[in-house]
Amino acid sequence: MSAAPPTLPAFVPNDYKTDLKPVWCPGCGDFGVLTALYRAMAELQLRPEYTAVVSGIGCSSRLPGYVETYGFNTVHGRALPLATGVAVSRPDVKVIAVGGDGDGLAIGGNHFMHAARRNLDVTYLLMDNEIYGLTKGQVAPTTPTGDRTKTTHYGNPEPSVDPCELAISFGATWVGRAFSGDLKGTVELVAKALRHRGFAFLNVMSPCVTWRGDEQFKTLKAKARPIPAGHDASSRIEAFRYTRETEVLSTGVLYEVKTPSLNDRLDAIKKSARGDAPASTVADIVKTFLPSF
Amino acid sequence: MDGVTVEGGVSPAMSRRDLTIAMVGAGGDGIVTMGDILSQAGARDGLNVIKTEAYGPQIRGGESSCVVRLSPDAIYEQGDAVDVLVVFSWADFGRFKGEVLPAPGAVVLFDEADPVARTKEDLGLGASARWIAVPFAKIAGDAGAKGSKNVVGLGVLTSLLGLRQETIRRAVEKRFGRKKAAVGELALKAFEAGLAHGATLGKLEGRGIAFAPGPAKLIMSGNEAAALGALHAGCRFFAGYPITPSTEILQFAEEWLPKMGGTVVQTEDELAAIGAVVGASFAGVKSMTATSGPGLSLMTEMLGLASMAEIPCVIVDVQRGGPSTGLPTKSEQSDLWQAVFAGHGDAPRVVIAASDVEDCFHTTVEAFNISEEFQIPVVVLTDQSIGQRRETLDPARLVHPVRGRAVPTAEELADYKRYRDTPEGHSPMSVPGMKGGIYQTNGLEHDESGRPASMHLVHEKMNAKRHRKLAPIAEKFQRARRLGPAKADLGIVCWGSSKGAVKEALALAEARGEKVAAFIPEMISPFPVKALESFLASVGSVLVIEVSFAAQFAKYLRTITTLPEDTIVFKRSGGKNLSISEVDDQIRRFFSPDRKQVPA
Repeated sequence: MSAAPPTLPAFVPNDYKTDLKPVWCPGCGDFGVLTALYRAMAELQLRPEYTAVVSGIGCSSRLPGYVETYGFNTVHGRALPLATGVAVSRPDVKVIAVGGDGDGLAIGGNHFMHAARRNLDVTYLLMDNEIYGLTKGQVAPTTPTGDRTKTTHYGNPEPSVDPCELAISFGATWVGRAFSGDLKGTVELVAKALRHRGFAFLNVMSPCVTWRGDEQFKTLKAKARPIPAGHDASSRIEAFRYTRETEVLSTGVLYEVKTPSLNDRLDAIKKSARGDAPASTVADIVKTFLPSF
Repeated sequence: MDGVTVEGGVSPAMSRRDLTIAMVGAGGDGIVTMGDILSQAGARDGLNVIKTEAYGPQIRGGESSCVVRLSPDAIYEQGDAVDVLVVFSWADFGRFKGEVLPAPGAVVLFDEADPVARTKEDLGLGASARWIAVPFAKIAGDAGAKGSKNVVGLGVLTSLLGLRQETIRRAVEKRFGRKKAAVGELALKAFEAGLAHGATLGKLEGRGIAFAPGPAKLIMSGNEAAALGALHAGCRFFAGYPITPSTEILQFAEEWLPKMGGTVVQTEDELAAIGAVVGASFAGVKSMTATSGPGLSLMTEMLGLASMAEIPCVIVDVQRGGPSTGLPTKSEQSDLWQAVFAGHGDAPRVVIAASDVEDCFHTTVEAFNISEEFQIPVVVLTDQSIGQRRETLDPARLVHPVRGRAVPTAEELADYKRYRDTPEGHSPMSVPGMKGGIYQTNGLEHDESGRPASMHLVHEKMNAKRHRKLAPIAEKFQRARRLGPAKADLGIVCWGSSKGAVKEALALAEARGEKVAAFIPEMISPFPVKALESFLASVGSVLVIEVSFAAQFAKYLRTITTLPEDTIVFKRSGGKNLSISEVDDQIRRFFSPDRKQVPA
């Protein structure tokens, strides 16, 4: 997806807004992510009809309904498989997958690994609120150990995961972390993620005021700081310095490398499979089933 | 292809101008190669050929069997009465007990070197079987082609049965010489040695088949035919996860789609496979996946999404024995309920069944046509027996009309509503790239614009819209086959791969002067009820035949129509294919005077 030719009218953030009102609670971090997405899309001048936003299930997965592009709010955990189909079959379409931590790391965790590994041509925005919000407050894979939730009355007995650490390990070629309370920073990072060719994973800490209280927002705000200047984002080892942080929350581009995307590789296969020959027809294939001796 | 097709049966006057050869041995004995060469040679000479293979569950080694049936006349099923049996290992033969059945008077070629001796009584062959010991391995070794006992076997068979030497020799040369000429030469030595040994055994009177070679025929499997049908239908995206016995479809797609400008993704699981298919179809590209029962179980949630979001997609289920891991390498007709009913909510879908190899092609194309026209998921049910058997086909028959992906017209895009409530139930579907067609959809209940809506009234209205598609589908695609006389004393109702055995059994009945007809639906859901009911009205008694222990088909029929009270149900577990003799036995019982005392 390239920027629109200059002859086209420029898109402004509001052009990407549908007239559907978000179902989110007042103060939800996802509003920040949505606003950042509108702005970043305008910055890139994404053509709405050549953009698809795909999600699974959860509070944040309602997002495609609010973006004036082709949109698909699918089933729980399956945003990335659906996005795979769109991205691979239509390389001319910019595909954005969105969802929450439960959707992407629990029920959809396996797909996360493989989308990253394939370097799928998809920008994946994970809105991480460390809780199941839509089902009203159960423990999630990113809920800190010890936290009390509706399903951890005695404190969460399980260690949590760091989504960025997973993404880097799985082979994502662009990994960033944002805090939705920092709109300017989030816009910048969403735009960078959208510009990346291949699988870009942005974990946006997106507080849930309803089930995690004001405390979560305050803590995140206090911890968030830009990743130190001079960070070598091409190094996995360096990137891992900024995962599993406890005292601070480093935002910015943690990891970025340039390797062929899945569509680059599939395109190369199409070319090499065919060689100089014209596209095969069914008749060509049928001939191979005739005994020839 | 719409409507009830009346198919000619097998000519009852047909003398048994066919020959069924079975080979059994251990992995590494080259059983499958023998079968390949015999069937390729048959197809080359224009014979009709059906070749089936069966294995144990082992990845390498273990028992394997291959049955090749050859005839200048039309054949519809694996021969269940084996005329000539080649046994390299009695121990392995024992593992196919009840599955490879020699005919009375069968010729049994066995290796004298086999340490496990068997007797005729062991094998239930009766006194009429003719036993011929052949030192296959020794002959191969003496010819300097150690390990080529299968090629020696081919030579012996060719001599004994008077098969066309030239064609088989060329097939051997092609098969073994394709990589290294020296290997081909060695194989030819083994073949000549086998021929020479066979000549010392004398000709088997009345065992060979007399025929004049005709133009070569195609030979392919049902899985290949289904994949070919998908490509013919314009499928340009395929996602799949390997699962026996459907994997060949994924492999075929992976080889050919890139050459046609399409793409294939082998996904991490079946959830992702069907998810990617629904995604690609949402994006405007005709898409398909293929799987077997356990995979279809995982795909069920996405069948619901495709039904709800009204996205065309095709799923081929090559059935195997179940439940759970079941019998991965063997056939059964026990995914019927799953295909028709599985899933939560009221989720309309279409289920269509293929009945032979060629039908796998047509059915898959038709599945795309229905799916594209009505924006509904379509499940194609085949099974291991037709999916993996190889059968000869006339290339001229591989044609089928194709419906393209329809997109909204400019008029429809003005005031566009993705789920406009139409009299037909389906509404114009735009795809990315269409400027006026932008919409947001979901698996939530939604209104005509696609916006989430949980009001009862909207749900009722949209359920009605989605289900409205089924009536025109049922009306337009009353697809079924009718075999046998227009009026009959006995009417067999069966489905899918059972057709072959039933068709041949009908010919045997006709030769005895018994009036038997058969009804084989191609549409399983929505079911061609009118066609079934007119069939039921034309027959005296009804016999339902199926390969499902729980009698899924018979019970399903009872949800659709009223079967006569005295309906006979012949059902059994899978693990072996329905045979002509099983069906013939049921027909004979029906016409025997004391049948009331012998309930089936």
